[in-house]
Amino acid sequence: MPRPGFVLEVDRSTPPILFHHGEGFRLEKLPAGRSRVLYPAEPLPALRDPEGAIRHALANPMGDSEPLSALLFPGMKLTIAFDDISLPLPPMRRPDIRQRVIEQVLDLAAAAGVDDVMLIAALALHRRMTEAELRHAVGDRVYEAFAPHGLLVNHDAEDPDNLAFLGTTDQGEEVEINKRAAESDLIVYVNINLVSMDGGWKSTATGLASYRSLRHHHNVRTMRHSRSFMDRHSSELHHANWRMGKVLRDAGVKVFQIETTMNNDVFGAEGPMSVLQKREWEWSAKDRATFLAMKTGLDRLPMRARRRIFQSWLAPHQMTSVQAGEVEAVHELTTANVYAQHLVPVEGQTDILTMGLPYICPYNVNSIMNPILVMCLGLGYFFNLYKGRPPVREGGVLILSHPTTWEFHPVHHPSYIDFFEQVLSETTDPEVIERDFERSFAEDEWYRHLYRTSYAYHGVHPFYMWYWGSHALAHLGRVIIVGGDVRAVRRLGFQPASTLQDALEMASDVVGRDATITHVHNPPILMADVS
Amino acid sequence: MARASRPTKLTRKLPVNGVPLQALASMAKPSAAALVRRAPFPLRPASIPQGVEPLPPVKRTGADYDTAWARRYPARAARVLLVEGIVRPAMDVLAAPEVRGLDRLGDLEGPVIFAANHHSHVDTPLLLSVVPEPWQHHIVIGAAADYFFGTRVTATLSALVIGAIPIERTRVSRSSADEAAELIDDGWSFLIFPEGGRSPDGWGQPFRGGAAYLSARCSVPVVPIHVAGTDRILPKGKSVPKPTKTTVTFGAPLRPTDGEDSRRFAVRLEAAVAALADESRDDWYTARKRAHAGTTPPLQGPELGAWRRAWAVDDRSPKRRRQRRRWPDLG
Amino acid sequence: MKALLFRRKPARYAAAVVAASVVPGSGARVGPLALEDVDPPELPGPDWVPIKPRLAGICGSDLSTIDGHSSRYFEPIVSFPFVPGHEVVADRAGPDDGAPDGSHRVVLEPVLGCVARGIDPPCGACARGDLGSCERISFGDIEPGLQTGFCCDTGGGWSTAMIAHRSQLHEVPAALSDEAAVMVEPTACAVHAALAAGVESGQTVVVLGSGTLGLLTLAALRRYTDPGTLAAVAKHPEQRRLARELGADVVLEPGEERRVVRRLTNSLAIGDGPITRLTGGADVVVDCVGTEAALADALALARPRGRILLVGMPGRVSVDLTGLWQRELQLVGAYAYGTETLADGTRRRTFDLAFELVEAADLGRLVSATYPLARYRAAIAHAAAAGSRGAVKIAFDLRNERERTR
Repeated sequence: MPRPGFVLEVDRSTPPILFHHGEGFRLEKLPAGRSRVLYPAEPLPALRDPEGAIRHALANPMGDSEPLSALLFPGMKLTIAFDDISLPLPPMRRPDIRQRVIEQVLDLAAAAGVDDVMLIAALALHRRMTEAELRHAVGDRVYEAFAPHGLLVNHDAEDPDNLAFLGTTDQGEEVEINKRAAESDLIVYVNINLVSMDGGWKSTATGLASYRSLRHHHNVRTMRHSRSFMDRHSSELHHANWRMGKVLRDAGVKVFQIETTMNNDVFGAEGPMSVLQKREWEWSAKDRATFLAMKTGLDRLPMRARRRIFQSWLAPHQMTSVQAGEVEAVHELTTANVYAQHLVPVEGQTDILTMGLPYICPYNVNSIMNPILVMCLGLGYFFNLYKGRPPVREGGVLILSHPTTWEFHPVHHPSYIDFFEQVLSETTDPEVIERDFERSFAEDEWYRHLYRTSYAYHGVHPFYMWYWGSHALAHLGRVIIVGGDVRAVRRLGFQPASTLQDALEMASDVVGRDATITHVHNPPILMADVS
Repeated sequence: MARASRPTKLTRKLPVNGVPLQALASMAKPSAAALVRRAPFPLRPASIPQGVEPLPPVKRTGADYDTAWARRYPARAARVLLVEGIVRPAMDVLAAPEVRGLDRLGDLEGPVIFAANHHSHVDTPLLLSVVPEPWQHHIVIGAAADYFFGTRVTATLSALVIGAIPIERTRVSRSSADEAAELIDDGWSFLIFPEGGRSPDGWGQPFRGGAAYLSARCSVPVVPIHVAGTDRILPKGKSVPKPTKTTVTFGAPLRPTDGEDSRRFAVRLEAAVAALADESRDDWYTARKRAHAGTTPPLQGPELGAWRRAWAVDDRSPKRRRQRRRWPDLG
Repeated sequence: MKALLFRRKPARYAAAVVAASVVPGSGARVGPLALEDVDPPELPGPDWVPIKPRLAGICGSDLSTIDGHSSRYFEPIVSFPFVPGHEVVADRAGPDDGAPDGSHRVVLEPVLGCVARGIDPPCGACARGDLGSCERISFGDIEPGLQTGFCCDTGGGWSTAMIAHRSQLHEVPAALSDEAAVMVEPTACAVHAALAAGVESGQTVVVLGSGTLGLLTLAALRRYTDPGTLAAVAKHPEQRRLARELGADVVLEPGEERRVVRRLTNSLAIGDGPITRLTGGADVVVDCVGTEAALADALALARPRGRILLVGMPGRVSVDLTGLWQRELQLVGAYAYGTETLADGTRRRTFDLAFELVEAADLGRLVSATYPLARYRAAIAHAAAAGSRGAVKIAFDLRNERERTR
């Protein structure tokens, strides 16, 4: 039986705590008496028979939905949309959940004699997936059956010929999604719900949407009113998506939602990475030796080699549940299943929140974690992994640990480079950035060209990264990055510190000498349920 | 005169005719057989007296060949070396196998029965080199008792090199089935060609019930495998192999359903392999649609005359793959 | 008098080339430049007067001469031994040379054109007032030398005494400091360059390099032209600050040029990954660096039919001109000064415009440090590393030099 997550009060006997630090690690001693560490739960048991579970879910849908086989008929137009390369993190070992689900969906479609099938990677404004990445996600059989005929495609949010405008919400938000999907008799959306933000109406209303539609909820105002965007019922981001979902439904778009959850077994129980998933006082002699060898080796390797090692890691995490049917009913159960793995009850807020940022975030799979993504992972994703109140008090300090190198992937992140060089050098205020710069980046012809034909994130994507952190920027009194490139950290508007001790000293200027400290031991992912 | 005398001299010098040669040999070293013949009784078997019913000869070959030694540690180690050091490199050159569908085995544990179609002698070493861990070096092969275990030499080699056990192709013999079941219970996996022999003309033959029977008896899953292309490497009747690309497609494991006898399970197995064949020729989704519609092209050829069957084979050869555009190096 | 004398010494010259290839500015240590006691130059004609330098700037062309980087192009239009220094503010030293308002301070316009050389009638260029384009640069009464500071007859600013033709002297208004006045000559170069750039209203202009010349060109472009966007490439923080103060709309770091110009001009780029080639580009690129890399950048940044202006002295470079051909670029040089035609058609002496600009933009603040002649090695090292040491213009201060011999 896996042990649940818990809060460790740090005392004098507490060992140094593991901080992820990009493509490396740090061990940090936290001050006794005023520090605590949030540990994630151990991985929930995986489904014993995933194929059978999927079959069962498709045949016994939730909410107001018929079984999938009853929704399929000869001559229909079927679109299968699936989550892109940003999920799960890290990428999972083969077979990917998407492959398992899509093969079963297609098998039912084949049984029903459906000929017009199209598969769409629902990547919104993310970069297109490469052939290898698509093969990994949907499997070789599906890839070879559809891709050569142009029936397995990446969604293109900038293709005027393949977008359908479906109306506006009661708050004036325009809803425009992929035309093929909109005109299908049925959309089957295959989700991997890694965190509680994923899924629900956000799948279709965001994953298959255009820039015109996305800008209504990917903006500073929405993000500042999402407390947090990981908690759907308190998230303006989700309210907007749910409103758009209503427009979709009213426009006759029929969605059969399939959501899957996974356990947080990201580093495995065996092998060199497994030590990262254990609690420090439970490290065996072998674990300690492995960790030391790994750390020493990594510290001596050039960045490129380290990145290659980490990016090639395929996590052994596995499916813990699958549910299918009507979007909202499915999503309620999915969210409960995600919470079962992630929620850790925490009492009260802290003055200083510390986090070790790992090597990966949703937007640098097979790529480079650039400084903007560091900001987004720390202040966007990790900061928002809370329910109730943020674990750090308003005006508190966030201390991140990450190398934050001034490096960008020139193919994947071209607009990020310009954003970093030309926008952040002027201002780091999300509202000013949104007002003065978003439009010119969003409408830049070259970014659009690269997004549509190469493997680049959309021109406006770095802005979204910045908006993602805007709630945290407004909430926090100071952000300090430990061990980061000084110039890059300053450009982000944060403060560089060379050690955690220095960072805590700097933080004391803001929150005083006896400030309480909370360290979030993530990954594996945990979500603080702050009371 | 001179002309005639020269050949005569030559024949005398060279043992051109059989007779002088034989004489020479018998004089130089008497044959072993001759020695035995000359030896007295205790040194040689007694002749069978007249009027006595001779005992039936104890067969040490064929289905009765005992292969237990080939599954002990030294032989297994030798086989691993053989497979990794010779068979696999040879197959990479000769067959360049493209292996598909391994992901379907992801959820399997324990022993399984692999059932493949059979075109050529290359099938066995090819499959041995592509079956994944943990089964790869823990597998025995059901081989035709009459063919592979015909003589002690072929029997020993078959047992050692490919880990074969003798299976009688004509009937499910109690003894070989018992032995196979025992092996499965011991954790060994099986590779069986349910057609019972190589295809004579490129078309399949009906699947026999052996694999299905074993699966039901030991309650282990059967993994259907389709092998394409080996018929062009070494078709039946040829002895010089010709390198060709091959495709090996692994299917989703099958289990006998409740109340399904081995004959019907064998039919289902054959259909599964036929679907795999369809999948490897066309694409997966088209194959699934045909499978559900019951229009999967059968493995067995049409009931036609020989030439028309041969003619029809070509229609089924894999479509040429479109050449993929080079993918950019994304660092 | 004391003077820094540059003699023709091939061995020392070779040593300077080697040393400077390791540490820029170290040509002063091992090269043919030496502090010597020499006789003041004689007056070659009636219109020549003695002057005593007060401040004399160290120019990029002086540095490349000292470091042995200058092109052999200059050999026939230079005469040895010479005293460098052509950015000079000086006192008139003649007996009856006081200006009507009592001021003695003058700025030297160093070009030695037909008038200074006693050639009458002057060549066509000089007749038009375009002194920098004089066609008699190595003829007439004095030895060859395109400017004071490269001629053996006139002496130069890096000394306590020199001579000048009356036509070369510009009175310094009393309100202008010596520091501001010493900036007039380089500013005149910048004004000439800005007006030669042919910037039309609203165009995008990129200035490569933010050394003295780059900053002054920025200021001149801002004052005498009307660009839509004026972008400056600046390597060092102090340069970036000054570039912004002097009128750059966009200040970028080296390495960002292609990306910034692409965004500014809504251009596309060919291929994905790092940008190598733009489809469009800036209307005008002003190269104030003068290296091979800078010229290659300029060729990459200019739009088709755009204009590249070479203000920094380029020397021998190797660049691929296919783009120049295919994109029909104009590659234009800008040297020295003379008379300019302004947008409204009026013609003004470049130096007059330069005086205006120096005063208006307070360019005297660009003089970061001054040195006595005796510390000439330190001065030249400082000038060679000006950007990284947070400095712009380094000058010799001759106001307190003691005369040991007369």
